[in-house]
Amino acid sequence: MIHDEYFGTPERRKILTGIILLIFAVLMVRLYQLQLLYHGELDKKSEENSIRALVKEPIRGYIYDRNGKMIVDVGPSYTVMVIPAEFDRSNLPFLSSILEMEPRAIEERIARARAYSPFLPSRLKRDVDIKSLATIEEHLPLFSGISYQVESKRSYPTPAHAAHLLGYSREISDAQLSQVGEYYRQGDVVGIAGLEARYENLLRGEKGYEYVSVNSRGQIIGSFEDGGRDVTSKEGFDLILGMDVDLQAFAESLMTAHAYGGAIVAMDPKNGALLAVVSKPDFDPAIMSGVTPAEMWGRLNTDESKPLYNRATLTRYPPGSTFKMVLAAAALEEGIIDERYRINCSGGFRFGNRVWKDLHVHGSTNVIEAIQRSCNVFFYQLMFKVGFEKWTEYGRRFGFGKPTGIDTGEETSGLLPSIEYYDARYGKGKWTAGFTVSLAIGQGEVGVSPLQMVRYIAALANGGTLHQPHAVQYINNKRVGKVEEIPRDAASVGLSARTMELIREGMRRVVQEPGGTASLARIKGVVSAGKTGTAENPHGEDHAWYVGFSPFDDPRIAVAIMLENSGFGGSKAAPLAGLIIEKYLYGQLRRPTPNAAPIKRDSTKAITQVILEH
Amino acid sequence: MIDYFKEYFDFKALFLCVALVTLGLLSVYSATYDVGAGATFQKQVMWAGIGFLAMLVTALLPLKSLQRLAFPIYAGSLVLLIVVLLVGKTTSGSKSWFGVGGLGGQPSEIAKVAAVLALAAFLSRTTTSLSNAKHLLIAFGIVLVPSVLILAQPDLGTTVVFSAMLLPVLYWAGAKNFVLVAILSPIIVAAGALFGTLAFLFSIGIAGVLLYITRENRFVAAVAFGLTLAVGLSVQAVYERMPPYQQKRIDTFLNPNLAPRGAGYNVLQSKVAIGSGGIFGKGYLQGTQTQLNFIPEQWTDFIFCVPGEEFGFVGASVVLIFFTALLLHGVNVAGMSKNRFASTSAVGITGILATHMLINIGMSMGILPVIGIPLPFLSYGGSALIANMMMVGLLMNFYSNRKEH
Repeated sequence: MIHDEYFGTPERRKILTGIILLIFAVLMVRLYQLQLLYHGELDKKSEENSIRALVKEPIRGYIYDRNGKMIVDVGPSYTVMVIPAEFDRSNLPFLSSILEMEPRAIEERIARARAYSPFLPSRLKRDVDIKSLATIEEHLPLFSGISYQVESKRSYPTPAHAAHLLGYSREISDAQLSQVGEYYRQGDVVGIAGLEARYENLLRGEKGYEYVSVNSRGQIIGSFEDGGRDVTSKEGFDLILGMDVDLQAFAESLMTAHAYGGAIVAMDPKNGALLAVVSKPDFDPAIMSGVTPAEMWGRLNTDESKPLYNRATLTRYPPGSTFKMVLAAAALEEGIIDERYRINCSGGFRFGNRVWKDLHVHGSTNVIEAIQRSCNVFFYQLMFKVGFEKWTEYGRRFGFGKPTGIDTGEETSGLLPSIEYYDARYGKGKWTAGFTVSLAIGQGEVGVSPLQMVRYIAALANGGTLHQPHAVQYINNKRVGKVEEIPRDAASVGLSARTMELIREGMRRVVQEPGGTASLARIKGVVSAGKTGTAENPHGEDHAWYVGFSPFDDPRIAVAIMLENSGFGGSKAAPLAGLIIEKYLYGQLRRPTPNAAPIKRDSTKAITQVILEH
Repeated sequence: MIDYFKEYFDFKALFLCVALVTLGLLSVYSATYDVGAGATFQKQVMWAGIGFLAMLVTALLPLKSLQRLAFPIYAGSLVLLIVVLLVGKTTSGSKSWFGVGGLGGQPSEIAKVAAVLALAAFLSRTTTSLSNAKHLLIAFGIVLVPSVLILAQPDLGTTVVFSAMLLPVLYWAGAKNFVLVAILSPIIVAAGALFGTLAFLFSIGIAGVLLYITRENRFVAAVAFGLTLAVGLSVQAVYERMPPYQQKRIDTFLNPNLAPRGAGYNVLQSKVAIGSGGIFGKGYLQGTQTQLNFIPEQWTDFIFCVPGEEFGFVGASVVLIFFTALLLHGVNVAGMSKNRFASTSAVGITGILATHMLINIGMSMGILPVIGIPLPFLSYGGSALIANMMMVGLLMNFYSNRKEH
């Protein structure tokens, strides 16, 4: 080596040592950065990386009646699951035949599941019958990526349907999914109608999560920390209804026996709790649990008898004579008349060049007798004494023309005509007092729901308190382990005791006295009160109304019955009320057979001309 | 007796090497724990055993025969490199591996050792002068020929290690500063070219200034500058011809957010693994990143994540400290050796190990581009482990013979 004055000099040795120490320092600083400074952030990332949460479905809350009888139960349901990444397409035809699903439908479900996660199980088909499940289980080794899980579906242990009140739950739709946000995912069940929808947040419970470790491809390789961090699902809260499920079933059976279409609503006048809510024709809510075949769903929707339509809260028929107490209350409360005020009913009422006929000639009649006998002439002329404006005001006091605030879902506001309404409808000055004559006897444009009617009658029964009608009285709050009462609104209709007394006396006589229109509602041993009505129906046979309460001195039940196309309320609706009240007060019927002769009709054809809200 | 052994036997190198290999076996076991751990781990244990024997044999060879055999070994390694290009197996995009039956290896690993020895043998000849341009070119050639053959596989990582060893060796062997600057300039400019026009111009400026300061002859300096420019300009052309996976590696190093699930994914997951280890780590076999295979082929290039995640800052520091101690020991041996061949070889070996450590750990922690080179002693791989242990064997040999001229 010629050129060696620089070979391996101590200086060069120091430089090399320095470079090595520099490298060491740089790497140590970076190590310190990653493991100490950024540790928190990177540790979180690492956990997110390797842990997945599997959803554990909670058990939906139960629904009980006022006596603790279970109305809505939860039963097992088998759901076939698929892990998209592991699914072998060659099994498609076989799987399709077992599940009775089109191959294309299966592929579409799998594609959507893949979008959620290719490696986590998603629902392929809900509520698979036990036979198909057995076939799948038998061939499970063949079906890679296919598994099943036990879920729950609704079952209904009582003969009562109460379908419109209870509502139903179904698999969440895409549209809902985009609206309701984070809690739900494809395949989840959500309340669609009735209590199931209104109390969804309480009934659904809380999903649990099972944490599993996954590898970098997202495949599950075991439980995470031996399940130490798993969150168990929380059962949904139970609903305890004001309903008497035996009464509900009985009321439904009466409607079915007579093949009536219409509604029965029974209420506890003391607090507004709904004892029974019947709307006929109806459907068995059990067909809505699990998976409703598309064909069945289509039939329910297109059936011209509209079985899905809740006649108890959505129909808007004229109340007929059952509305007369509103006008009577206005006249008495405003001091326009008292019980000594009498008119002579000649069987007709002339106003301008028109004559409104009465059914009977009632002769000399005061307000009590006018209610008892349902004298139209008395109320025709009373309308002019009281005035349209007052009539509207007292109608409002009884809650007409606005929603009741019921907790079961949709309801109609009905229609309570007012000066503003006519001005808007016909134009100012383009309508006359003659327009209001029919309103005096509850005919014409006034429209009410059976629910509004029962509340009105309950207010007359309880001395003037208008309660918010409600199906649910208590909630079994499983989080705090307490049964909690739900507070409800109440308002006074603002009638004096004297006014109430006179009107109630009229209603008592309707049932209890000779000459009353609802003697068929009479029950042995109990004094009842009520009022019949007939809603004129320009499209067909009239609708029958009956409203009533019992016992007279300490009312425990108020009931409103509306029978579509059934004619006069006194003969069709009143007997049903008698049976329902008797059943409720005594727990059973005390007479050998119902005293109304069954009339067989095809209910699916008989019901027409339902006045729809929109 | 013990003192005698201490005098002639390099316990320090032995201890550091065995410690690092042990940490490596633990890491490989952990990284392959759920993916057929048995086979991979057992193979690595076998390689470590063979490597240990190779290390001891190398340590005990007579120094003079080593020096004499340097060129034949070098020639043999070149033949192997050519053969592997012709009949080699392609693994992950590179034709770098060949074998007969169950045995086989990467000739490039052996070529590293061979090239160091050859370079050292050449530079330590009494007739060699680093001021002689021809001699300098030969020195370059000794490294360049295997580099090109390895680049043709193509294996960029090993090529980089090869080239990087040249610099400390020439420096140690007494090259003038200008020579070193002339070598370094094209590298700086080439790197600058990859970072865009501004960085390119800036790097040219730096290279120019350095060349000007260290110049001894204006003409030579000008030529060096011209070559530097030419290299810089051709880098783009070379980049265009790189296999896409290497292009991507460079791109994602320049911009790591480019493809978090693609080429940048490894680095991201590796950083997450190391960072989530914290001070004491998640415990052996408890690292979620490691055990859940978030880092593909972690037991090879990204093995540093295992001590990082499972033993934390404490464990990773131990690895770094052991490595650094071994490198410093290498420099010490070079300084102590009276024999220039041994001394130069020791620096070359130290340079190779240092480059491996810097690039591998640097890329695992996201401060250097991902160019696939293993971490010596820790990464899975038979040829590399044996070659690396043989290099430690050489250091031990030089230590034992440090007083021999």
